[in-house]
Amino acid sequence: MKIMKQNNVMRSRTVPFLLLFAYLLAIVTAPLFAPYDLFEIDLNGRLLKPSAEHLFGTDHLGRDLLSRILAGGQVTVGTGLLVLIIVLLIGVPLGMASGFIGGRFDRYLMRIIDAFLAFPDFIIAIILNGILGPGMWNLIVAIVVAKWGSYARLVRSTVLSEKEKDYILMAVVNGLSTFQIIRKHLLPHVMGNALVLATLDLGKIILLIASLSYIGLGAQPPTPEWGAMLNESTPYFHSSPHLMVIPGIAIMSTVLVSNLVGDALRDRLDVKA
Amino acid sequence: MIPITKRLVEFILFLFLLSFISFILIKLAPGDPVKRMLQVDEVSVTKEQIEALREELKFHEPVYIQYWHWLKRFFQFDLGNSYITKQPVLSELLSRFPATLMLTCASLIVMILISVPLGILSALYKNTWVDHLSRLFALVGSSIPSFWLGLLLIEWFSIKLGILPSMGKGTVKHIILPSLTLGIAMSAVYVRLLRSSLLESWNEDYVKAARARGIKERRIFLSHVFRRALIPVVTIFGMSLGSLISGTVVVEVLFSYPGIGKMVVDAMIRRDYPVIQGYVLFITILIIIINIFVDICCRCLNPEIRLKGVEKR
Amino acid sequence: MSLLTIRHLDISFRDKPIVRNINFTVRQGEWLTLIGESGSGKSITASAIGGLLPKEMRITAGRILFGNKDLTCLSNKEYRKIRGKEISYVFQDYQNSLTPFMKIGKQMDEMIQAHCSFNKKERREIALQALEDVQLPAKRVYDSYPFQLSGGQLQRASIAMAVMLNPKLLIADEPTTALDSITAAHVLEVIANIQASINCAILFITHDLRQARKYSDTIAVMKQGEIVEIGTKENIIYHPCHPYTKQLWNAVPLIRRSSSAKETDLILK
Repeated sequence: MKIMKQNNVMRSRTVPFLLLFAYLLAIVTAPLFAPYDLFEIDLNGRLLKPSAEHLFGTDHLGRDLLSRILAGGQVTVGTGLLVLIIVLLIGVPLGMASGFIGGRFDRYLMRIIDAFLAFPDFIIAIILNGILGPGMWNLIVAIVVAKWGSYARLVRSTVLSEKEKDYILMAVVNGLSTFQIIRKHLLPHVMGNALVLATLDLGKIILLIASLSYIGLGAQPPTPEWGAMLNESTPYFHSSPHLMVIPGIAIMSTVLVSNLVGDALRDRLDVKA
Repeated sequence: MIPITKRLVEFILFLFLLSFISFILIKLAPGDPVKRMLQVDEVSVTKEQIEALREELKFHEPVYIQYWHWLKRFFQFDLGNSYITKQPVLSELLSRFPATLMLTCASLIVMILISVPLGILSALYKNTWVDHLSRLFALVGSSIPSFWLGLLLIEWFSIKLGILPSMGKGTVKHIILPSLTLGIAMSAVYVRLLRSSLLESWNEDYVKAARARGIKERRIFLSHVFRRALIPVVTIFGMSLGSLISGTVVVEVLFSYPGIGKMVVDAMIRRDYPVIQGYVLFITILIIIINIFVDICCRCLNPEIRLKGVEKR
Repeated sequence: MSLLTIRHLDISFRDKPIVRNINFTVRQGEWLTLIGESGSGKSITASAIGGLLPKEMRITAGRILFGNKDLTCLSNKEYRKIRGKEISYVFQDYQNSLTPFMKIGKQMDEMIQAHCSFNKKERREIALQALEDVQLPAKRVYDSYPFQLSGGQLQRASIAMAVMLNPKLLIADEPTTALDSITAAHVLEVIANIQASINCAILFITHDLRQARKYSDTIAVMKQGEIVEIGTKENIIYHPCHPYTKQLWNAVPLIRRSSSAKETDLILK
């Protein structure tokens, strides 16, 4: 029993990373294996059930579902990663500046962020996307605006708490320049925390992208985004359930993997995010 | 009471700032609203008509003057009219809000009915199959897109079994599927939260001391452990009431449920800006009220805050 | 008439023995001090008596005889009836001995209800009387939350609760370690007065030899989970046998009183 417990997959630390690696690999390379063109419409072969020719069947315009799902992975996950990168590029420097400079800049920035964080990020994203209009770039802007605040805040509090510690004092006493201190001592802490938050957030961001696309605000047809695909094929669910099941499973499994990775990373780094 | 009034003032200032920002954003947004308003009826529009309407709506004036006009009307409870339906935004908001409110309450009930028993059971029977099941439930529940869950539920209950309606509102039956969708999605988080909160409370020293006084286990659980475990749950719950509101948007669209969520999404797709702006303000006020309410709850639950004004832990 | 007899008690932490072969007896009205450094197993032994060992620790051998009952054979239900009524505890951490968000009066009320069937008015009387007996402003403390009292007051309130139902044995687990010396002295006096008035036995745990010297009848010295020496106060203090006991005494800094002192003090070596 003891051995079985230790091998428990859910508690394993490396399995999530392996899964993620496999996933990312699939996402990056898969469209190369996609058997059919994504946008090729074949009105004669509409709504086909999964078969040897079309592994996942076809959608209401005769497009091969497998290819679209594979490409959709790039769209959904790729956009999610892009959002995270932009958020980190904005939030981390601002947070560090806030922690270092302090004073009025810090106070005003924190006020603004507090105001943002009072709102659920979903609402901010929906409203911004709605005001700017449907489309992937508007979606990216909307989600970035909704999410950057929590990263700036996390980075700032990391900087503030580490700044007081003795090893920083030692570095100053030893004559390191501010830039060197930041790079060598603070940045690892800061990035550690930020990355843990990012991996935990990736799942939520993917769900956001899918949800916004589902209600028509994000990805627009014919872009193969999983949420948008669910939206497009809603009228055909009853006759062709594969159109509903497969994109949904794609979304769910992606979010699941990223959640597991986030948990594993958090456990490994033992960070209180 | 002073801290509450201070926060209230802060919030009101915030409200004004937000209304201004959303006003500016809407002005900056792409597209010409005047043209669109006239084009709704699919009649071709002349340049003179556009200019006339623009004059009438005072769109030619500088932005801050326009905002001033808007502000004046705001205090008269006039949020403008929808571009599409030409009806006052405020009355539309108010007429559709009760539906969203009902959905939110029903989802809350579902969430409590699922997460409280499951959370307590998985704490009591730690590391048994009940616990593992709740962990699985939490993992899957937080990974599943809520609209997909809704679609699955529609597929089973509405289409295959035909016992529950999948759209519209009217009877209690109409609320069941939407509130199940939202409730299940949210309870995934709370089950684990309640469990860890309970386990932490159980390990507190004062629980051991209560046991040393000979108090019955059940009483210890109810009065000492559970009560303490509720505090972080309520705090987080307050923060995610916001999630609940945003959740209703997607669910309402999915189930064609006529609440304010569906209203605003329709408005967004049709670029009906007054409605969008009205919604922003409405939600802001709602969130402010929720924040104050959660604040009050925390004070009640934790006498330290109430009497000292400051939290020790 | 021995009240509590411990025979060959062994306690393990997840199959690793941490307390071995504990033997001692406490008679009615006797004050036994269990002394030793941190980690010597004193608190664990004390917890075992009341059946309060954490899940990972178990009694693997021996008997705990209380009156004519063997406590190691008791069910949880039976144990519960004894705790608070016949065996009571006072803990070191007074902040966390009482539930923070319940008024003290309510917690006392709850305790009385768990053991006796008095009506509301009678319960309140008993509680108020107990608080007065430890020199606390009874009504005020009864209606306060724990965080509204000072350390000394809290500890005295805990003592009041512990002796409210006239227990036969009071186990005090380092009750004064977290208090300043003046408050500690007061609290100890309170405990001594209580012992005099209800004639309960006291199992007192401390690492402070001076307290042991002032108040005990019997002293047992523990080291690394075993009792190395046990005897009357006079024997242990003035005629220690075991090298560890001698070591302990040597390590105590004592202030020598002026020449007009009547007591003979140990001289700091």
